[in-house]
Amino acid sequence: MLAITEPLRALWRRVTAWDLLPTPGPEGSLRDGPVERPWRYYWDHLPKRTAGADFSARDYQQARQRAEEVARTTLGDDLWQQLMMDGHLDVPSHRYAGVTYRLRVGHRIEVVCAAGARSPWPYAYLCINPTYPLPELEFFAQLYLYARDREDTLVRVAAPQPWDQRLGRTF
Amino acid sequence: MGRIIVANRRGHQLVEWDADTDTEEAREGIVEAERILREARDKGCAVSRKVGSQHVLDDGAFDPYAEEYQIIAPIAGG
Repeated sequence: MLAITEPLRALWRRVTAWDLLPTPGPEGSLRDGPVERPWRYYWDHLPKRTAGADFSARDYQQARQRAEEVARTTLGDDLWQQLMMDGHLDVPSHRYAGVTYRLRVGHRIEVVCAAGARSPWPYAYLCINPTYPLPELEFFAQLYLYARDREDTLVRVAAPQPWDQRLGRTF
Repeated sequence: MGRIIVANRRGHQLVEWDADTDTEEAREGIVEAERILREARDKGCAVSRKVGSQHVLDDGAFDPYAEEYQIIAPIAGG
């Protein structure tokens, strides 16, 4: 009897430990306690530019306020002031001569080429989203770090697009 | 006092630890902070560390004397 029940119990333990069945984000994050760990869950089922049905208007407002604080901390005061003045930040490519990544909050990356430089992509915009929902200012600062410090990752995942558009996984 | 900025849909939430106090609670705080960073990296997140006045992406081992880390979301095209 034990030979039958123990494997079933082990299977159930794995299921309840989220090892087998993917857990949707909003429900799963309720298990996390005071700090949500969104990388544990999947979020693809959420409508674009939303954070989950459990999020109130006040939650969105507070999240955007906190995002501004952390984006400023991430970028530092000089880059933050530059962003406020210009409305975008430029990151020169270390991989493609004459290519610059122009980042705007909540939008696709624009690939800007100097005179004579050739873009490696067929289109001028690169669509890159976080894998879980984030306030757009917070993700902007993170995308800046990827462009500056992990260009290879950015190049690997980027989806070239012919026009600009708001990102779908930020709000 | 060190801290991890956990960027999530809430904007961010903080995990803090104290490397200068030698108590059981302080040691547990350090272990928990290290565990969160490791878990996030294992799930594809990047980690940044505050260097001077700004963050830089960092692959180094957890340093309990670091001022600030941040967990950076994995990215995907489209």
